[in-house]
Amino acid sequence: MKKMFTFMLMFVLLITACSSESDSDNNDTTEDTNAEQTSSNDATETKEDTESGKTEVVFWHAMGGNLEETLTTIVSDYNASQSDYEVVAIFQGSYEEALTKFNTVAGTSDAPAIMQTFEVGTKYMVESGNIQPVQKFIDADSYDINQWEKNISNYYNVDGTQYSMPFNSSTPVLIYNKDAFTAAGLDAENPPMTYSALKEASQKLTIQDGSNTTQYGFSVLNYGWFFEQLVAVQGGHFVDNDNGRTASAQEVTFNQDEGLNVFTLISDMYNDGTYYNSGTSWDDIRAAFLSGKTAMYLDSSAGVKAMVDSAEFEVGVSYLPIPDGKEREGVIIGGASLWMSSGLDEEIQQGAWDFMKYVSSAEVQADWHLQTGYFAINPAAYDLDVVKEVWEAYPQLKVTVNQLRETKSSTATQGALISVFPEARQKVVSAMESLYQGADPQQALDQAASEINRALEKANKLSGN
Amino acid sequence: MKRKINKKRITRSSFGAGMLYLLPSILLFGIFLFYPMFKTLYLSLFWTDTQGNPVQYVGLENFMYLFESPSFMTSIKATLLFVLYTVPVGIVLALILALLANENVKGIGFFRTMFSSTIGMSVAASSVIWMLMYNPAIGIFNKILSAIHLPELQWLLDPDYALISVAISTIWMNTGFSFLILLGGLQNIDERLYENARIAGVGTWYKLRNITLPMLSPTLFFVVTVSIIGAFQSFGQIDILTGGGPMESTNVIVYAIYKDAFINYDVGLASAQAVLLFFCILFVTILQFKIGERRVHYQ
Amino acid sequence: MIPFKKISLYALLIFFTIVMMFPIVYAFLISFMQSGEVLEGNLWPSEFNFSNYQKAFEQVPLFKYLTNSFVVSITVTIGQLIVSSLAAYAFVFIPFKGRDIIFFLFISTMMIPWEATMIPNFFTVQNLGWLNSYAGLTIPFFALAFGTFLLRQHFKTIPKELHEAAQVSGVGRFRFFFHIVLPVSKSSLITLAIYSFLTTWNMYLWPLLITNDEKVRTVQIGIKQLQSQEVASEWGIVMAAVVIIIIPTLLLLYMSQKRLQKGLTQGAIK
Repeated sequence: MKKMFTFMLMFVLLITACSSESDSDNNDTTEDTNAEQTSSNDATETKEDTESGKTEVVFWHAMGGNLEETLTTIVSDYNASQSDYEVVAIFQGSYEEALTKFNTVAGTSDAPAIMQTFEVGTKYMVESGNIQPVQKFIDADSYDINQWEKNISNYYNVDGTQYSMPFNSSTPVLIYNKDAFTAAGLDAENPPMTYSALKEASQKLTIQDGSNTTQYGFSVLNYGWFFEQLVAVQGGHFVDNDNGRTASAQEVTFNQDEGLNVFTLISDMYNDGTYYNSGTSWDDIRAAFLSGKTAMYLDSSAGVKAMVDSAEFEVGVSYLPIPDGKEREGVIIGGASLWMSSGLDEEIQQGAWDFMKYVSSAEVQADWHLQTGYFAINPAAYDLDVVKEVWEAYPQLKVTVNQLRETKSSTATQGALISVFPEARQKVVSAMESLYQGADPQQALDQAASEINRALEKANKLSGN
Repeated sequence: MKRKINKKRITRSSFGAGMLYLLPSILLFGIFLFYPMFKTLYLSLFWTDTQGNPVQYVGLENFMYLFESPSFMTSIKATLLFVLYTVPVGIVLALILALLANENVKGIGFFRTMFSSTIGMSVAASSVIWMLMYNPAIGIFNKILSAIHLPELQWLLDPDYALISVAISTIWMNTGFSFLILLGGLQNIDERLYENARIAGVGTWYKLRNITLPMLSPTLFFVVTVSIIGAFQSFGQIDILTGGGPMESTNVIVYAIYKDAFINYDVGLASAQAVLLFFCILFVTILQFKIGERRVHYQ
Repeated sequence: MIPFKKISLYALLIFFTIVMMFPIVYAFLISFMQSGEVLEGNLWPSEFNFSNYQKAFEQVPLFKYLTNSFVVSITVTIGQLIVSSLAAYAFVFIPFKGRDIIFFLFISTMMIPWEATMIPNFFTVQNLGWLNSYAGLTIPFFALAFGTFLLRQHFKTIPKELHEAAQVSGVGRFRFFFHIVLPVSKSSLITLAIYSFLTTWNMYLWPLLITNDEKVRTVQIGIKQLQSQEVASEWGIVMAAVVIIIIPTLLLLYMSQKRLQKGLTQGAIK
């Protein structure tokens, strides 16, 4: 015991000694820091010199795989198109990892000029105080923001200020296997639009082989985004105070009727054996669909083209189903937007804004839409011939755009604005997963609601709202 | 009397020498481990803003919350189960492999190489492979199950199987290292001991229990220590395979800390968990040294 | 040996070889498949062509990443060997007051979860100007309690008489350390080297956090870079990258197998 105590004492002493030591270390190096940092940035600096005095604009993104390829092309096209700025695109891992990294360098000279952040990080970025709303440049430039798709840019509009530029944007859609529909005696051109039709179709689509089900009717990825969408399409709010848009949200509201409809649907279908639990990975649910394990599922509009290409059967795309007798409100935009760091040289910010304008142009957006499947944030892109041609071949893409365009502009479809969104999504996912263990839908929702409410309360207390 | 003084003098002069040898370690530990740990200890007493800055001193509130939180209890349970699933099985498997590979037969070099090959596999690479194998729709495991007419399993999606599935892949990843160390230990055992045993005509089992295992005990102790600490700190495979789900069944403490600090931006809460984890591992290690070192047979 | 015994030994050896090697072979086979084949759950690719490998190299600068990983892993390994062996030597051969307490403090660092240290360390490295450099990737890892512990265990088996004899005959501390202690501890040093190399090779989050471009980025980031979140990843390409990443380490392992084995047995004190 005594030994233990001595040890603890030593521990504390040493820690204090070390921390003060490294503190003084820090002081010693502060003066050098700038010099050293420039030396660590040497490579980029020299690049700046060699490229005949172009201003460097660092752009952090989270686009892996094929998306990165497309993005790299856009960036190098931009760099070749003008002689003032050099955009350097750097992959920074997943959205979460990139945001963590941004968080650690925000406000310092290591911060990027442009930062790509997923939609649920919006409130977090707004509150971080380290970003420059693009509204400033829109005003200064008299830039016509109406060329942006309103249903997309609205999400990033907080209290009348446009905070960021929408970039890769997507919405959820129902994807279904037309061949399986025909085989089950269903009309492949008439996919289910309501819950009862969905249940009925799923019954017919489910195929048993002994104890194993070889084909399920329907599946939803265990991901909070889909739940939010299924609530919004019925006009439901995720949190109070009009989805946190009129004032800071105090409590969640997804455990009311609209949310319960969704959970009851999943629970009922799962118990009927017509619903397939495909986990939390996008790749897994797509594998399930492409391999015929499930005949219908919800996917992001950005995944549509790849699905049509890789499936060995006819793929149909449709709107999100709604409960019987409900009015269709529409979908919330998902994906990510581009933010500008504050505290940078005016010159760099101008470069960032210039790049954003370039990216918003119809031509670039058309290319982006066709290469990746994300929406064009500039609807003028859809009128270009390149897009029209591809839409001929892929009529499914048009469905995704129509669903977005038919969306009613309301606080429900504008999406919730809360800072604890990542945590909220985890809790919703846990609640979804508990349904497969036989949990009662209302109880599962309430459990998640009370946990998120606590997080909300804490966040509000801390930010003084 | 005179000798005693002498000894004291030596000790004093040795202090400087000792410190000289320890200096690099102490310096690095101080900056990169103790200082952050101290900071963690400090932050665990605060509510922090999303930037991770302490905003409000709350005393032990973070800890109280954890002890009442069912989530945290699930994390503790998952962590302990994970250690329990991976360590004993992993070591027994590695020991069996080492015993087999210690036989001197033709071509044994090939088998030794094969058994140790998971050493060359990174956690990220291995996890990606296992993720595909576990895939319920296209993975090899379910293909095999349905080929022999058994019900398919939702390996990583079923809260009852997820932790075990992650444990199986972890055991596979760690076997190469444990195997190689244990094989080294086995080969260091004096041949004459076995010679004598053969002359005395004792059985294989007796040899294993009374010669091999006692002589191998320092190596085993080492492997056990490393495995336990490794199991407590497993992260990569959980991040890639399950992300802590389903229903938090694989949300081991290390992963919960990561999630709270890096995704939910609740640094205070993450710090409190880190402090608890620290004392938890400390306790296990002290226990292990107390029990373990007594049993270890140093040659 | 009795033939039956021999046959069953081989049977067991082969069985375990299949178990251990299966995932690696599986990855290898998948890496040749087009996405359609992967989705059908095939085990054997319809043809062996290298298009996936080509695409993997095109998308991510894997060669550069591999080189970086090697530089970083080898530097950390050497650093850890030096720092840990110095410390272990002090703990075994230089008696001084407070030694046990310091040793225990060292051991306690093994229990510090790295997640807790990451953010403060990021700021330290930033202040030192080590962001996006090999220094930031390596130096913070030079001190390793586990390595000190491992070497101490081994140094303890060196007879005290040897040390006393050396002191009497006037051999200096450092010479004794360098010419006697280190050579007889070869097996532990090798064990530690493998351990260090692999843990460093495996690092993901720290390199991602402190690096910004391909000049210093390591290979684990490369795998992540090939997978996208909202858009389907191509399994064939991902697996090709996995194979590219594991081949160098596997080759290194296979080539050094004999020497490793020898090193592990030689150093023992009988």
